Order: sequence, then C-alpha cells, then structure tokens
Amino acid sequence: MKKRFVAMAMAGVMAISLAACGGGSGDSGSSGGSSGDALQVVIWDNNQQAGLQEICDDFTAETGIEAKVEVKDWDSYWTLLESGASGGDLPDVFWMHSNNSQMYMKNDMLLQLDDYIAASDEIDLDNYMPEITELYTMDDKHYAIPKDYDTVALWYNKTMFDEAGLSYPDETWSWDDLLEAAKALTKDDGSQYGFAMNPSNDQDTYYNMIYANDGYVVNEDHSASGYDDPKTLEAMDYVGDLLAYCPEPTVMSETGTDVLMQSGQVAMITQGSWMIAGFKDNDYMTENCDIAIIPFNANTGKRVSIINGLGWSAAANTDRPDDCWALLEWFGSKAMQEKQADLGVTMSAYEGTSENWVNNTDLFNLAGYMDVTEDKAGDADNELVLRPYTYNSTKWSTMCQEQLVNAWADPSKMEDVCIDIASQMNEMIASENK
Amino acid sequence: MSESTKQAAVPKKKMTTWEKNQFVYGWAFILPTMLGLIVLNIYPIFLTIYQSFCKTGDFGRGNVFIGLENYATMLKDPAVWQSLLNTFKYAIIEVPFSIAISLVLAVFLNRKIKFRSGYRTIFFLPMIAAPAAVAMVWRWLYNTQFGLLNHIFGTHIQWISDPKIAWISVAVIGVWSIIGYNMVLFLAGLQEIPGDYYEAASIDGASGIREFFSITIPLLSPTIFFVLVTRVIGALQVFDLVYVVMDRTNPALPKTQSLVYLFYQTAFTNGNKGYGAAMVMLLLAVILLITVVQMYGQKKWVHYD
Repeated sequence: MKKRFVAMAMAGVMAISLAACGGGSGDSGSSGGSSGDALQVVIWDNNQQAGLQEICDDFTAETGIEAKVEVKDWDSYWTLLESGASGGDLPDVFWMHSNNSQMYMKNDMLLQLDDYIAASDEIDLDNYMPEITELYTMDDKHYAIPKDYDTVALWYNKTMFDEAGLSYPDETWSWDDLLEAAKALTKDDGSQYGFAMNPSNDQDTYYNMIYANDGYVVNEDHSASGYDDPKTLEAMDYVGDLLAYCPEPTVMSETGTDVLMQSGQVAMITQGSWMIAGFKDNDYMTENCDIAIIPFNANTGKRVSIINGLGWSAAANTDRPDDCWALLEWFGSKAMQEKQADLGVTMSAYEGTSENWVNNTDLFNLAGYMDVTEDKAGDADNELVLRPYTYNSTKWSTMCQEQLVNAWADPSKMEDVCIDIASQMNEMIASENK
Repeated sequence: MSESTKQAAVPKKKMTTWEKNQFVYGWAFILPTMLGLIVLNIYPIFLTIYQSFCKTGDFGRGNVFIGLENYATMLKDPAVWQSLLNTFKYAIIEVPFSIAISLVLAVFLNRKIKFRSGYRTIFFLPMIAAPAAVAMVWRWLYNTQFGLLNHIFGTHIQWISDPKIAWISVAVIGVWSIIGYNMVLFLAGLQEIPGDYYEAASIDGASGIREFFSITIPLLSPTIFFVLVTRVIGALQVFDLVYVVMDRTNPALPKTQSLVYLFYQTAFTNGNKGYGAAMVMLLLAVILLITVVQMYGQKKWVHYD
C-alpha cells in the first residue's frame, strides 16, 4: 500500500513532465511543417483571434491549405520570435511591428515579397496606407503586407459624467479640459478616479500628449531620444499633474487600465482602436461607455493621435514559401481587408475600408477613432504621428517603462527621470547593431 | 549490477556471456538518456560558457569574443547583485518553510487517520498544476483592488506591489506549490523507519514530540538532506513565479526579480545573450559553492545506516 502510493505519485510526476515535453514538441513541430500540416499563424492580440481564424477558415475553404491562429501575449510573442529567429525556426506567418521590423528585415529573417507582389493580381501596394507600407520596406524591398492601422481615442463613462453633471467630451476638448474633468470626476473616498494610465500605456496615452505639445520621443532619423526635449518634459509634467486623478500606480500596474475602465473604477482612459473587439464584448462597457475624439493641445492647437500599423510577414526560411504567400495575399486582398473591418477585428490598412469598420458595431460611436484621420476637427489641426521606433525599440521602450515607474510613484521626480531616460536611451540607440 | 562489477574488477578474466550481455544491454538502455543529456544539457552548458565571453549580435548571431568584459560589467551592475540578493531572500523563505511544513504534514499523514489518501492527494495537487497557471491564480488572489485576500480580510494591502512584502508574497506561493512534492519524498523516507523504534520509545515513556526529534528526524536525515539540496538548487533558479506574478511596471519588481528573471529579460527581451550567459554563470558558481558546502556539512548531521 505504502510503496504503491509512492510509486503512483512518482508515476504522476513523470506523466506531468512527459506531458510538458509533449506540449513543447507539439509547438515546435508544427512550424517544421510538411505540407499536410496547418500553417502556423502567430499573433499577440487575443481579441483578434476569432475574426482572423474565420478569415483563415475561408482561406482553407478556398485553397485547401489549413491555417491555425495562435495567440501569445505581447512579451512572450517577441521572445518566441526572437528565439525562433535565432534558432532558424520562426512560425510560418506572423505579425510584424515597427518596434522591431528594422532588425528583422536587416537580418533577412522575413520572406522578401517583391517577386510575389509583382506576379500577383490581388496585391498592389498602392492600395494601402503608405505609412504602413513604409514601415516594412527596407532598401526598396518589401517584407510585409500591410494588415491594419490603429489610432487613439478617448473613452469615457457616460454614467459618471451624468452623475457629476458634466457634458460629454467632444472635439472642443483640450487636454486641459480633460484635466479639469478628471479632477471633478475623482471621488475622495477612492471609489472612482478621473483617468488612468500606466507606464506601459505609452502609445495610447503619454506619446499622444508629447507629440501634441511639439515634443518627441525619438527624433526624425530614429537616432536620438527626445525625452530631454523641453517640449517633451512639459508634456510629461502634464502627465504628472494628471496622475493626481488616477488610481494609485500600483493598482494600475496590477490590474491594467482597461480592466479598471471595464469595472467602473475610472471615468476616462485613452485607448487604441485595437481594444474595440474586446470592449464590445463587455456588458458594462456597452451600457456605460462611449468614445470621443482624442483631445488637442490648447497651446499648439494640435491634436495628435499616434498611429501604427501591423504587417503580415512570413519566415524567410519557411519550407512552404508559396503557401505562406498565398495566405499573405489572402489577408491582404481587398475582400479580406473589408471582411476584417466588417468583423470589427481592426481597422484595415486597405484604403477606403474605414466605413466598413465604423459600421462594425453600433454599441459605440467609432467615429471618435476615424475623425482624427481628417485634417481638422473643431478648431484643432489633426496630425497622425507614427509610433516612434528605432532599429530595435524593444530594449529602450522596456527601459523607459521601467524607469517611468519611479516618476509614477512620485510625479515630482518626473523631470529627473525623463532626463535620465534620455541619456540611457541614447546609449542604447547608439549601440544598436545597425 | 553491483555484483557483476565487483566480479569484473577481480583479475582479468574473460567476460562470460552473461557479463557481455549485461554490458551491451546496460549501455543500450542508458544510451538514449546519455545522448539526450549530451545534446540537450552538456553541449549547451559549454556553449553558454563560451557565450559568456562574447558580445552577441542580433538574433544571437556573430559572436565577437570580448574576454571578461561581460563579467566586468556584471561586477559593476547593481541590478545583478540586487537580483542575487532577491533570489537568496526567496530561497531563505521557501526552503526552510517548505521543508518544515511538509515534514510535519508527512508525519501526520503517515499515521492511520481517516481520509488519509484524500489528504495526501490534496496536498500533492499543487504539484500537478502548471506553475504558470498557479502563479496566475495567486496573482488575482493578491490583487490589491479586487483580490480575494484583501476582500476577506477587509484590508488594502499591496501584496505584490509593496517592495517590502512582495518578495514574501512570491515566496509564499513557492512554499505552497512545493509542499506536496517534499511531502511525498518524506513519506517515502518515513516508511523506511522500522516501527520497533517507536514501540520501544513509547514503552520508555517518550512523548510524541520527543519521538519526532529523537527518532524521526535522525532516521529521516538522508531524505531531508536530499530534499534540502534539491530545494536550494530549485529555489535559486526561481523564475516562473516572478515572471507571471510581477508586471513589468510593478514598482516592487526591482526588489523582487530573481537572477534567472533578470537573465531572461537580458538575454531574450533585450537580446543581449552574452551578458545573459555571464549572469547564469554567476548563478552556476553560487549554486556549486552552496552545494559543495552542503555536501561537506552533511557529515555533521546526516545519519546513514
């Protein structure tokens, strides 16, 4: 009896470790890929999986090639790609992002697409937003098919605004108005806060404020940090002021600002258009919240939304380049770009599909994301700024977020932290293997 | 097996057929494991040692030999030493507590009590769950705003964001998840102790506590030693708990991250594989040193029959 128990326990442990091995080899096995296997498609956004899998299923119905969409979270996605690239075992088809695209292109990790594009009836790169195409082009060679683009808008809780007797945000709002409103919406007992932003919310919060104030994060030729620029510092001071009406930094880092919004703890957040797919499934959000255009800077008269766009790439050393291309072509085709917008997966990079996206749901007023792409809204000039990037942005953007934690804990240190960030960042950019 | 090796060591006689078979089958059976070890463990160890002397390019390509530069940087890097300290702090909680608690549990569950197998299963269950999943659940239990712990106690303690207590919170998860495993090993050890000792002791009027310290612990010392050595090594390599529980923007991270976590960030997030390799070499040296000390120390307290 005694021995048997121990033996069973041991067997159990072995079974678990075997299972662990099994899982591991299954993962890597699929990318080796004989033609019978499904193409391995890897993405980082859980909210897009269902829609993209549907598009992949259409692809399978059309071509007979199977494709399976897998999701990793943002951090492990890049670790997976990095180690996959190092070991020569990248997934077949995956998303590329401006953070790292330069490094991947430079090292020939991505399938070069020019011959395929030239021979294709479906793909003409003139049809996509030129900024996005640009991100995935190096030395006039193309390495990705533009997938989508995203802008940033202001989410607000109507119920809380009604309760406080405030009018809803609109195109007349400047960042100063937002600060005033955040103050009015913050309750002393800690049950409700005006705004929320975490150091990790760079693209969707403080980058927008920096660029609207004529500051910058990375200079135009992607070679130096702008964190010590006076205009940037001024904007970051504003960030420090706004933090007074945000939940404690520890709460924001533990819980995430989107969850705080969805659970009725904060009245406003700025968020990227990629969040729609997730927010529209949340009953609290659909009942209480809506979207307005992002505020403008009253001093400069500029309204800035950071934009970014992803590209579909394939591994340069894939066994099945033609199948991979067929899938890229499918994702990039007009019909599927429209479908992506119709399904509300994201806005599509294909020009002229914005209507499809705006109409994907009537639960929120999606025009808040679209209007910023016009030249003007209200009295402010609109400007779209590409998410700042360098050759390998992961390194410095991670560092910035970790350092800003100190400024979040004590906003009076904001300026010192930013200046410190600038010098570290310049060092990192200088050491990039260009 | 030991019989045959003794015979083989005796002056040169030709191998009998039986011995030959032993030899061939012996090697045939261990060969797959040996190959696995060489390909998956031993070869990478040497690669890592080499890499720690290199500056690596994008995607780990283009190793440039830079001698001891990584080690020199490491000596001056406060983050490395802080992480090493964090790792020790974690181990100092995890190892003694997990051993003490599981030892007591094992003694109780070695008696004839009702639902004994049920209890054993319950305590062993955390072992079955994937560490990442365990950590994910604990992360929500600890959540300041919505966490079950704060909800039950009506407190507002920042279990994993307050640098003063976050390392303890993480170590508690470690203790919780390893207790079952230690317990099983102790149970196995306990069952090797003959009942006569306890009978004799109880006739002499020894109390349960006296029996525990004078019989159980000395006779169980080889198992305790084994658990101690393996747990110290395991605790110094802690990674997944920190990785899942701590967000990158968590203010307590610098005071909680373990050396392996820092290695992971350096080597895989920042792509600096050479420097990462140097960090794990440091960890290897530390573990080697501690283990050697333990091996010598065992003479003082471990009783083999």
